[in-house]
Amino acid sequence: MVPIEYYLLLSAAVFCIGVFGILTRRNALLFLMSVELLLNAANINLVAFSRFHGNLTGQTFSLFTLALAAAEVAIGIGIVLVLYRNFDDVDVTEATTMRW
Amino acid sequence: MAALPFELAPAIAALPFVSFLIALLVGAFAPRLLPKGGAIPGILATAGSLLLSIWAFVAVSGSADGMYHEYITWVAGAGEATLDLHFGILLDPLSTMMLIIVSLVALLVHVFSLGYMNDEGETGLPRYYAGLGLFTASMLSFVFANNLLMAFMFFELVGLCSWLLIGFWFREEGPPSAAKKAFLVTRFGDYFFLVGVVGVLATFGTSMFVGSENMEAFPHIAEQVLAGEGAVEVTTFLGFEPQAWFAVLGLLILGGVVGKSAQFPLHTWLPDAMEGPTPVSALIHAATMVAAGVYLVARIYGFYALLPQVLAFIAFVGGFTALFAATMGVVKKEIKQVLAYSTISQYGYMMLGLGAGGYVAASFHLLTHAFFKALLFLGAGSVIIAMHHNENMWDMGGLKEKMPVTYYAFLSGSLALAGIVPFSGFWSKDEVLYEAFVHGLNSPLLLGAYAMGLLAVFFTGFYTFRMVFLTFHGEPRTDTARDPHGVGWNVKFPLAVLGILAAVTGLVNMVPVQKLLGVEGIDFLHQWLDAGPEVLSAHHYSTLTHDFAHYTAGTIGSADLTVLLSAGVSLGLALAGAGAAWLLYDVPEPVRHTDRLGRIKTVLFNNYYQDEFQVWLAQGVTLPVAKAADKFDQGVIDGVVNGASSVSLFGGSRIKRVQTGVVSNYAFLLTTGLIVLLVAFGIMGGWF
Repeated sequence: MVPIEYYLLLSAAVFCIGVFGILTRRNALLFLMSVELLLNAANINLVAFSRFHGNLTGQTFSLFTLALAAAEVAIGIGIVLVLYRNFDDVDVTEATTMRW
Repeated sequence: MAALPFELAPAIAALPFVSFLIALLVGAFAPRLLPKGGAIPGILATAGSLLLSIWAFVAVSGSADGMYHEYITWVAGAGEATLDLHFGILLDPLSTMMLIIVSLVALLVHVFSLGYMNDEGETGLPRYYAGLGLFTASMLSFVFANNLLMAFMFFELVGLCSWLLIGFWFREEGPPSAAKKAFLVTRFGDYFFLVGVVGVLATFGTSMFVGSENMEAFPHIAEQVLAGEGAVEVTTFLGFEPQAWFAVLGLLILGGVVGKSAQFPLHTWLPDAMEGPTPVSALIHAATMVAAGVYLVARIYGFYALLPQVLAFIAFVGGFTALFAATMGVVKKEIKQVLAYSTISQYGYMMLGLGAGGYVAASFHLLTHAFFKALLFLGAGSVIIAMHHNENMWDMGGLKEKMPVTYYAFLSGSLALAGIVPFSGFWSKDEVLYEAFVHGLNSPLLLGAYAMGLLAVFFTGFYTFRMVFLTFHGEPRTDTARDPHGVGWNVKFPLAVLGILAAVTGLVNMVPVQKLLGVEGIDFLHQWLDAGPEVLSAHHYSTLTHDFAHYTAGTIGSADLTVLLSAGVSLGLALAGAGAAWLLYDVPEPVRHTDRLGRIKTVLFNNYYQDEFQVWLAQGVTLPVAKAADKFDQGVIDGVVNGASSVSLFGGSRIKRVQTGVVSNYAFLLTTGLIVLLVAFGIMGGWF
């Protein structure tokens, strides 16, 4: 059996990649993908602890997260589409009208 | 269920109020329907009030407990240590006597106004009669009020009516200014009164004048506390002992009295108030409203009688005012001005009487003064009609033959004012001075007040007869005086009624005669004021002044000699004053003898520069203080508030720049925050 530390390390690595993507990319689509990575890092954690404790709640919960992620992608792509229509670009640093 | 006149008691005040409403509403919407500009409803209403007052007077004397007391609660306190506020009616000997005075004088003044206002073609009559009606209603309500708060409310309404009526001729320059002055000066005193009312409520939990089944009267509570009997507890403030705190309350209420009764130093409004129509001067500024202050002291005399320092203060202020105002009356050239200063002076006597423990004497003087001063003012009004509204006495002269009714009525009032036997003023003034004298023999302060009052008798005699001789005797000095305007029955009738009253009212309380001749039972007024409920009776008050203020009557030689001496000295001085006036002014062509006083005359003519002093007080002291306070308010208080707001505005304008609109920056801040949080937890949790 693979020790739980490996899962956690994997999860942390995926999470950091996601954060890195959000911090460095300007493309809204890449933003969306990075958010998916963050969510899945959390899922890995849930499943790993679920297995570790022998309790199925975590796995069930990760199914909900997957469904939520799907919904989030639908909305996210909608936002990206609106962004493109309004600013002729998907660069998030261009859309700065909601500011002081 | 009370007997019938008591059931009708509210109507005593309600009738004039209805006449006020009629004059106001009909006068505004259908002036043609209003007979005589509102005079007829006013006359009917005051006549009704007079009849009801007399009925109540008779009923009080016939009732078992000598009074009628009924009240409703308009604010009920909830829970412990709260208080109720009431409206109520208290009819006892004192208040029914005052009700009759007020309604009688109001009735006569309404009749007189027909001659003074209607026949002279004044405009705005509904406004005038509405003012008179409201005044009469509020004064009557004040008189039968059963607690201090209600009394205060109507006290203020009376002041408002005074303002309305003094400023009746508002298109001229003088009256509005005089009205404002009267309002502000009396309001200054009333401010203290208001604080006093609140103080009384907070101290005693009630401001009732007389007790009822579930509530004590506040003077009675104070009496029990000071006597140290019973389990009565009161709350005192500012760390005062009950005795001292009650004195503070007494002085606060006295503030309103001094303002309304025109006592020094708040007397300055009254001479200016002569700008109003003369019947108003007669009703308000002589007979009734100014009486409100003195009446209030008499009403709560059970409270004042407990406080020797306050009594001495009242006596001293009264004696001083009597002399001070009388000296100013000597040099005035307008007939109403002389009467105005005599009014101030006479109210000084009443205060002297109250302060000296002469409750009955002061009430007696209140009664006689109401009649003879209303008479003198109405007489002056008649002269003013005749003189085509010229009030300068130096333009008159020789009116005796032209207007005999006015002359004899005025003479009766003048003899009463000067205190010549047997006119009413002699009996009452003599009793006031007698009380001050016998109590003063054991108290030097009272003796000083007595001396001032006695000296004022001479001046009173002098200025009164100077006025009479200048107006009615000698040769006419102007064409108007040679051919005066006639006056009608509506002027002569009130003068005749009051003239007779001024001559004979003194007979209701001939105390010196009783003491000297030993005729028992002719001090009717004394018996009357002694009759009511125990705690409001004259003998209870004299017990209080004796026990608490340690007033004891002294004598010189025998008791009879003291009475004779007091009456003789005051009568002698009055005759001396009148005689001096007779020598100087009862000549065909009088000259201005007062000019020989030189600079003293200038000082007197300018009222001791009291007006200038008060203006200086307002402009030279109050205004700079107010400006400094304003500066402090604008600079320091507002500065702190504005500073706090500008700091947060400035901070906000800087911090808002975090909101760049770039999502990456927000994400960066979130991440940084998370990391900082993790590190902080790590350090505190000891992970490293």
